Amino acid sequence: MAALNLSKMSQEEVIQAVIDHGGAGITKCIQCNACASVCPVAKAGFSLYGRLLFRKLQTGHYEEIIEDASSWACQACNRCTEICPRDARPFDIVFAFRRMQAEELAISTSAFTPLMSLHATGHAVTSEASKKLRQQVGLDSQPATSIEDEQAQKEIQTLLENGPMGELGIF
Amino acid sequence: MAKVGVYVCHCGSNIGGVVDVESVREHAETLPDVTVSRQNLFMCSDPGQEIIRQDIKDGLVDKVVVAACTPRTHEPIFRKVLEGEGLNKFFFEMANIRDQDSWVHADDHNGATAKAKKIVDSAVAKARHLMPLEEKYVDVTQAALVIGGGVAGIFSALELANMGHKVYLVEKEPSIGGVMAQLDKTFPTNDCSACILTPVMVDAGTHPNIELLTYSEVDSVDGYIGNFDVKIRKKQSYIDWHKCTGCGDCAEACPVRTPNEYNASLDNRSAAYIHFPQAVPKKAVIDMDACINCGGRKIGSETRISKKTGKPILAPCERACPADAIDRSIPVDAEGDILDVKVGTIVVATGYKVMEKDTFKSLAPDSPNVLTALQLERLISATGPTGGKFLRPSDNEKPKTISFLSCVGSRDQKHHTYCSRVCCMYMIKQAKLLKEKYPDLNIYMHFMDVRTPGKDFDEYYTGALEMGIKIIRGRVGGIDTLPDDRLKVMAYDADLAQNIEIDADLVVLATAIELQDDIKPLAQKLSLTLDGSGFFKELHPKLKPVETAVEGVFLAGCCQGPKDIPDTVAQAKGAAAAAAVPLAQGRVKIDPAISEVNREKCSGCGICEPLCPYGAITMAEFEGGHKRAIIEMTQCKGCGVCTTACPSAAIELHGYSEDQIMAQIAALTL
Repeated sequence: MAALNLSKMSQEEVIQAVIDHGGAGITKCIQCNACASVCPVAKAGFSLYGRLLFRKLQTGHYEEIIEDASSWACQACNRCTEICPRDARPFDIVFAFRRMQAEELAISTSAFTPLMSLHATGHAVTSEASKKLRQQVGLDSQPATSIEDEQAQKEIQTLLENGPMGELGIF
Repeated sequence: MAKVGVYVCHCGSNIGGVVDVESVREHAETLPDVTVSRQNLFMCSDPGQEIIRQDIKDGLVDKVVVAACTPRTHEPIFRKVLEGEGLNKFFFEMANIRDQDSWVHADDHNGATAKAKKIVDSAVAKARHLMPLEEKYVDVTQAALVIGGGVAGIFSALELANMGHKVYLVEKEPSIGGVMAQLDKTFPTNDCSACILTPVMVDAGTHPNIELLTYSEVDSVDGYIGNFDVKIRKKQSYIDWHKCTGCGDCAEACPVRTPNEYNASLDNRSAAYIHFPQAVPKKAVIDMDACINCGGRKIGSETRISKKTGKPILAPCERACPADAIDRSIPVDAEGDILDVKVGTIVVATGYKVMEKDTFKSLAPDSPNVLTALQLERLISATGPTGGKFLRPSDNEKPKTISFLSCVGSRDQKHHTYCSRVCCMYMIKQAKLLKEKYPDLNIYMHFMDVRTPGKDFDEYYTGALEMGIKIIRGRVGGIDTLPDDRLKVMAYDADLAQNIEIDADLVVLATAIELQDDIKPLAQKLSLTLDGSGFFKELHPKLKPVETAVEGVFLAGCCQGPKDIPDTVAQAKGAAAAAAVPLAQGRVKIDPAISEVNREKCSGCGICEPLCPYGAITMAEFEGGHKRAIIEMTQCKGCGVCTTACPSAAIELHGYSEDQIMAQIAALTL
């Protein structure tokens, strides 16, 4: 592999973009690896997690990682935020990167179904199995949320379609 | 008949875990003249000492042997016990059955026990022959010498002077200040170096107890703690410092251009020059190696009169001087003047130098845009070659991309294995100062790892990260030159696990701190030794950090090892406090374990005289023209060289007399 010429990378732009998308802690990372040590994404064997993602972004790597699906495996557990010794808020940086990916429509296929469900029902995840369970314990088959409320669903759709996600044109 | 008491120590499990202590005690009981033999878990403890005390009180014992650890640390404790009970404290002998036995034979219990018995045999044999000795005292000269006028020497001198002692502060350059005077700012507070140092320099320069001897070097050191005779060579300045006002007119008039040491050779100075603007003392000197003797005005030459004008023909420096401080017709000694001073103690604070870039052939040292960190320091200083403007040397353009390389010559078997300790921090300081002033500057810093173990240091470093300074983990492999005097830095980013390159306009090398090449003669003059890293060796790395193997000579600052300014000042004040002790006591003890000549036996052959490493022996003439050797007790260190060399066996080393040593040998071999 040829050496990467750092002085020809647009590092400042990438770092600024991460900050603009909510990952202001990117300049605080000291590559200590604490976030990776607790990260379910790393444990599940994905390739681009925590400190490695941040290093790539710090050094201006953007184009080559934009399609990587690892970030969509983030469970938002926030253990990284708790353990980070520099208060860099790693979770915020991962989500900032996701927003940047979404803008490029580099959304993992695994993320599309929940997004469409959110648009349709107001819930990212719905479960057929839960209907039965609810009935067994004497509850209505569906919770009293937007899930069976057309008016609420319309409002959610209006919100989504008029926000940044609407601009992606996926709904 | 001697009454020898033997006390065998377990030293916890240090000895007791290996040696059968009871068996050694039993064995000692059988030795001639041994009246009591006892054992204890810790002989050095209060109860342990009390056992010996009681036996002396009861009249059972008049010579004491303790079989335990090393006399280096414990002899004084037991000698005090004897002294307290009215015995001569030299009626004591230590058998080292720990360092020389249980520690080295930990896996051979029987062998170690047998050896312990032998060591005790030998100590008892000597103890039977011990003679009383007497400690003597000599008065201390109430003055101190501080060698080196950097921040360490200045603070040592001020500290001693403020305690009321007379101090000679010797500095080889025309001004005190040292390397700190070359720095722009200081980490981690970004204080202006000159702003905090200049007032201290002025203090030292005006203190009534400090005699400032700049442009001077130590020529020779004789004597011993309390009474050192030092010859100081005041180098020839060719300018009458009594008249010189430091106006600098001579420097402006002088046409010569020679590399300027103060600006780390980034620009030139004249042959007549003032060291730097805040110099203390602010006096000019003429660098005769660079001087071209304008108008044939060699030093000491007769003044010719111009036929045209009828006026004397003078060199530009002479003409320019408004104070008449330069007169090249006066013949002066190029070697300067020798000044004799007597001092009681000496603080060595000779500082360091940074390695030059030329050593590092793979880092493009020939490029004008590869600088040492000290050169960058001068480049960004308001008193530097560009007046503080950040311009790269090759074309005086403002650099856009700059790379810092750490550990250049440090942590490297090919050069120095040690860490130079201050480079990480001063590089971060330089990067932060530049980034603050020029936010658009791209700064890359290559580290093996970032070392910030000091108060407020890590916060300083992480602050640099947040400013957008790029920290890269990985040692740089090499630098290639690019067109337009740019540089390609070839490196590796360990966190990316990828080779990287940087096209830089300027590269800064954090070259290692080392002792000056010309320091060895001074070390010899002072009988100081160097450690494995090449710095002056302290007496003990933890407990005697400012003392040396030479009594009365102390260390301060980077000559003892790399350190930053706070540590240097702390050590300087520590060295001053230690150096003040003999001055405050007013007299120093002379160890009685020194050699003495028996004049009746001495044949006057003189073999001993040149052998003495301390110059303590002289040949004196006595009645009837007989020559006999005399040993100066204050200079003798008790090494024993003369004793063994004397063909007439006329020299006795007290505490190690022939009958004592023969008895020991007999005990070990028979």
